[in-house]
Amino acid sequence: MTEQFTPVVWMLLSAALLTAGMMAVAIFLGPRKMNPVKAEPYECGIKTEDPPLNMRHPIRFYVVAILFIIFDVEIVFLYPWAVVFRQLSLVAFISIAIFIGVLMAGLYYAVKKGVLEWR
Amino acid sequence: MDLSRFNLITIATPLVLGAGVLLVMLVDLLSGRANRRPAQLAALAVVLAAAAVCLATWNTGGVSFFGQVSGDGFASFFNLIFLAVAFLVILAGPAYLERNAIHFGEYYSLVLVSVMGMAFMAAGTNLLVIFLGLETMSLALYVLAGFNPARQSSNEASLKYLLLGSFATGFLVFGIALVYGQIGSTDLARFSAYLAGAGDPFAGYMGAGVALLLIGLTFKMAVVPFHFWSPDVYDGAPTVVSAFMSAAPKAAAFAAALRIFYAPAESLGLPWERILWILAALTMTVGNLSALNQASIKRMLAYSSVAHAGYLLLGILAGNELGAAGILFYLASYVFMNVGAFTVAWMVNRRGEGRYDLGDFAQLGFRRPLLAAMMSVFMLGLIGIPPLAGFFGKLYVFTAAVQAGYVWLVVIAVLNSAVSVFYYLRVMVIMYMRENEALKDVDRIPATFAAVAACALMVILLGLIPGSVLDVARAAVASMP
Amino acid sequence: MGPLTLITFLPALGAAAIGLLPADNHKAIRWTAAAFTLAVLLISVMLIPQFSQTHTGINDVDGFQFVEKADWIPAFNISYFVGVDGLSFPMLLLTALLCFICIFVSWGIKKGVKGYFALFLLLETGMMGAFVSLDFFLFYVFWEIMLLPMYFLIGIWGGPRRVYAAIKFFIYTLVGSVLMLLVMLAFYFNVKDPVTGANTFNMLAMMDQANHSPWLNLFNVRVLLFFGLYIGFAIKVPVFPFHTWLPDAHVEAPTAISVILAGVLLKMGTYGLLRISFPILPDATHTFAWFLALMGAVNIIYGALCAMAQKDLKKLVAYSSISHMGYVMLGMASLTAAGINGAVFQMFNHGTVTAMLFILVGVIYDRAHHREINRFGGLANIMPKYMGISAVAFFAALGLPGMSAFISEAMVFLGAFPVFQVYTIIGISGIIITAGYVLWTVQRMFFGEGLKDEKYKGMSMEQIRVHLPEINGRELFTLIPLAAIVIYLGIWPHPVLGMMNASLVHLVELVKAAPVVTAGLF
Repeated sequence: MTEQFTPVVWMLLSAALLTAGMMAVAIFLGPRKMNPVKAEPYECGIKTEDPPLNMRHPIRFYVVAILFIIFDVEIVFLYPWAVVFRQLSLVAFISIAIFIGVLMAGLYYAVKKGVLEWR
Repeated sequence: MDLSRFNLITIATPLVLGAGVLLVMLVDLLSGRANRRPAQLAALAVVLAAAAVCLATWNTGGVSFFGQVSGDGFASFFNLIFLAVAFLVILAGPAYLERNAIHFGEYYSLVLVSVMGMAFMAAGTNLLVIFLGLETMSLALYVLAGFNPARQSSNEASLKYLLLGSFATGFLVFGIALVYGQIGSTDLARFSAYLAGAGDPFAGYMGAGVALLLIGLTFKMAVVPFHFWSPDVYDGAPTVVSAFMSAAPKAAAFAAALRIFYAPAESLGLPWERILWILAALTMTVGNLSALNQASIKRMLAYSSVAHAGYLLLGILAGNELGAAGILFYLASYVFMNVGAFTVAWMVNRRGEGRYDLGDFAQLGFRRPLLAAMMSVFMLGLIGIPPLAGFFGKLYVFTAAVQAGYVWLVVIAVLNSAVSVFYYLRVMVIMYMRENEALKDVDRIPATFAAVAACALMVILLGLIPGSVLDVARAAVASMP
Repeated sequence: MGPLTLITFLPALGAAAIGLLPADNHKAIRWTAAAFTLAVLLISVMLIPQFSQTHTGINDVDGFQFVEKADWIPAFNISYFVGVDGLSFPMLLLTALLCFICIFVSWGIKKGVKGYFALFLLLETGMMGAFVSLDFFLFYVFWEIMLLPMYFLIGIWGGPRRVYAAIKFFIYTLVGSVLMLLVMLAFYFNVKDPVTGANTFNMLAMMDQANHSPWLNLFNVRVLLFFGLYIGFAIKVPVFPFHTWLPDAHVEAPTAISVILAGVLLKMGTYGLLRISFPILPDATHTFAWFLALMGAVNIIYGALCAMAQKDLKKLVAYSSISHMGYVMLGMASLTAAGINGAVFQMFNHGTVTAMLFILVGVIYDRAHHREINRFGGLANIMPKYMGISAVAFFAALGLPGMSAFISEAMVFLGAFPVFQVYTIIGISGIIITAGYVLWTVQRMFFGEGLKDEKYKGMSMEQIRVHLPEINGRELFTLIPLAAIVIYLGIWPHPVLGMMNASLVHLVELVKAAPVVTAGLF
C-alpha cells in the first residue's frame, strides 16, 4: 500500500529542494542594502509609528475577526451542500435553513449590540 | 434519507432549550435597553416548556442518531434536575443582578445554553457527544463566572475556571483518543463490551485512557485532588452563578460518569476500585476539614460541595443499581439544598460582594424567621438529618456501598458526616444564638423568596416520599441502554 | 388512623397551627399549644382502660396493642410500624402528662413565643414517635427529630452560656446517633424478614435470632454491636463517663425544657437499651450484665457525690438525675422480674419527681433570679406553700417510704441483690449520700436564720415578700398533679406496675432463654 504514496514523497522532496534552492540563490546572489524601514515587522512603505512590542490593536478587530470566522465556517458547510443540492431531500433544505437561521440570529444579535459600528 | 435514525424525540428537551436560547436572545434584543423582564419571562417559559417536553417524552426516546444519544428515563430524570436548577436561578437571579448593576439579558441565554450542554451530557451514549455537551456547558459557565466585569475576583474566577477547565477537558479528550486508539470506537456500548470481554481491562492504551477520562470528569465534580478551583471560583463568581455552578454542572458530571462507568463498573476490577476508594475517602475528608474553618459562607458551601462529591463517589464505586439510583436521588435533593443555601447567602449579605461573612446571618432567626427556618432546613438537609431529603440520599448511597462490600469506606463517610455537623451547625448557631450586631434589614424580594421556599419545600417533600422517588430513579437507571 | 398515629402527629399538627397564628398574639399561641397537648393527654388517658395488662409485646407482634403498619419505603422494607406494650405505654403516658404540664410551666416565656411553642410541640411528636416505633428506622428518624427542637430550645431560650450548652448537647447526642446508625445498618444487612427473605428494619424480626445471618451470630460481632448501641444510648441516659453534657444543658435550659430533658429524654436511653439492645442481642446482654450493673453503681455514687458538692440548685438536681438513672441501670442489669419492673417503674417515677424538682427550681429562680443554695435560707417562713410542695418533691427524690420512688428503688435492690451483691450494696449506700444532700439542701434553703443575701439585708418580712411572693396558682396547677401521682403511686403502685409486668417478665424470659453464642470472629 505504501507504493501509492511514492509520488507524494517525491513531490514533498522536490518542493523542499526547490524552496531551499531559491532561498540559497537569494542569499548568494541578491544585493543587500539594509535600511531601518526594511527591518520593520510590517513593511508597506510608510514608517511605523510605535515600536512593535507596544503596538496594540483595538479589540474590535478581534470581534470582527470572530464574526468573519463564523461565516467562513458557514461556507464550509454550504459549499458541499450546494453542490449536491439536487440529490438531497427536503429535510436537507430545512436543516440548512435552520442552520442559516441560527447564524442570522447571531448576526442580528451582533449588529444590534453594535459590534459593526466603528466608534 | 432514512429519517428513523434521527429520532428527534431523543433530544427533544435540549432542542427546545436550543430554540429557547435564540428566542430569549431575540426577546432581550427587542425589549429595549432598560427592561430585562421580558427576557426573564421568556427564559422561564422556555424552561417550563422544556420541562413539559421532558415529562411528555419521559423514557420514550430510545437510542438514536447512530447510537450516539439515548433519550431514556435516565436522561429525562437528569434533565428535570437541570431544568429545576435553571428555573430557580432564573427566578431568583434578577434581584441579585440588579443589586450589582450587572443585569444583562445574556444571563438567561447563557444559563439555558449551559443547561442544553448538560442535557447532552446526560443523554450522550458516545464519548464525543458527552465531550461536546461538556464543552457547551463549560463555555457558558466560563462566561457566567466572569459575569461581573467590574469586580476583579469575578474576572479571576472566570480566568481560573477557563484555564483549569480547559486543561481538564484536554485530559478528557486525550482520554477519549486513547480509548479510541484501543477499541476503535467512541461508542459507550462498545466501550463496556470491550471491558467486559477483555481479560485485562487496562491493557494497551486503555489504562491511561480510563484514567484520563476519570481526571476530566472528576475535575468537573470537584473531587480531591482536582478540587482546588472550586472554592476560588464559587467565591469569586457572582453568587447566583455560584448557586447554579455548584448544583447543575456537578449533577451533569455525575450523569456523564454514570453513563460511562456504570455498566462496566464490575469489569473494571481492582486498580479502579482502589483509585476510586482513595479518591472518595480523600474528597470527603479534605472537603469537610477545609470547610470547618471558613469565615465566608460561600467558601464554606464550596468546600461542603467538595465533600458531597465524595459521598456521591460512593455510589459510583458501588457500581450496583441502588448506587446509581441513590446518586440520582442524592443529586435531586442536593441541588435544592445548595441552590437554596447560596440564594439565602446573597439575600442576607449586606456588606457588599467582596465580603460574604458568616456574621451576616446574625439574628436572622428573629429578623426573618421564615428565611432562617428555610436556611436551617438546607443546613440540616446537608448534614443529613432525617427526615429531610439529604438523609435519604446519603442512606441510599451508603447502603449501596455496604452492599458492594465497602464497609470501611461507609464508616469513614458516616464519621465525615458527623464532622460536617460542626460547620453546618455554626450557621444555625449564628442565625439563632448570636447577639445582635445591628445589621440592616434583609430586602424582601418576593420572587427570590419564592425560589428559596420552593427549594425548602422540595427538601422536605423528598424526605417524606423518598420511596416513590427512589422507584422513579431506579426505573431511570434500569432504562439505560 | 389509629390512636397512636393521632398521639404522635397531633402535636406536629399543633406546631403547624401555631405557625399560622400571628406572632404577637401570645395568648392564642399558648392556648393552642395547651389545647393540643391536652388532646394528646386525653387520648392517652382514654387508652388506659383499653390497654390489656396481660398482653406481652416485646418480640411478639400479637402482644402489641393499637398496632398500625403501613409501607413507607418499600424498597428498603421500611414501614410505618407502631404499637405499644407494657414497656412503652407508661413512657407514653409520662410524656403526654409532662408535655401538657410543661406548656403551663412555659407560660412566662417572653422571647419568640411562637417559635418556642411550635418547637416544643415538634419535640413532643419526636418523643411520642420514638416510644411507639417498632421499626428501627422509624425509631431512628424520630430519635433525630427529637434532637433538633431540643437543640434550638436550649440554644435560643436558655441561660447565659446557652450556645455552649446547646452545641455540647447536640454533638454528644449526634455522636450517639451516628453509632446507632452504624449498628442499625449492620442489623439491617444481616437480618432477613422470615416471610419475604429481604433485609428488614423491623425490630421484631431482628429479635428473632433465627433471622440473623451467620456473621451476626459471631460473638465478637455481637459484643461490638452491643457496645456500639450501649454508647449511643448511654450518652442519652447519661451514664458516666458520657454524662458531662447533662449538667451544662440543664443549667442553661429554660425550666420546661429541663423538665422534658430529665423527665422524658433521659428515659429514651434506658428505653432504647430495653427495647433494642436487650431483645436483639440477649446473649451479649447477659454476658455483660455485670458491666451495666457496675456502671449503674458508679452512676449512683458519682451522681450523688457530685450533687452534694453543688452550690447551684439546678445543677444539684441535674446530678441527682444522673444518680437516679443509676438505679434504673442497676435494675435493668439484674435481669430479674423484680429488678426490671423496678427499673421501668423508676423511669416513670423519676420522670414525675425530677419534673417537680425542676419546676420548683424554676419557681424560685423566677423570683430570686439566682439559684445559689447558700444565698437562700428561712424560705419556710417567707413562702410556706412553696416549702410544703418542695418537701414532697425532695422527700420523693430521697426515696421516702410512702412516695413512689421508694417502691421502685426497693424493687431494684430486691431484684439486683441476689445477682450483683457488691454492686447493690454500693448502690444502696448511695441512698445515704442522697439523703445527705437532700436534707442538707432542704435545711440550707428553707430553715435557719433567714435569707443570707446582701440584697435583702435589713428588709422587713413584708418587704421581702414583695420580692419573693408566694407560689402562684398556675405554678401550683403544674405541681399538684405530679405530687398527687407521686403519693398515689407510693401507696398503691399497682396501676403502673400492672401495666408493665407482663411485658417485662416476658422480656426477662426472652433474654435469659437465649443461648450464649460462643463462635467468635477473632
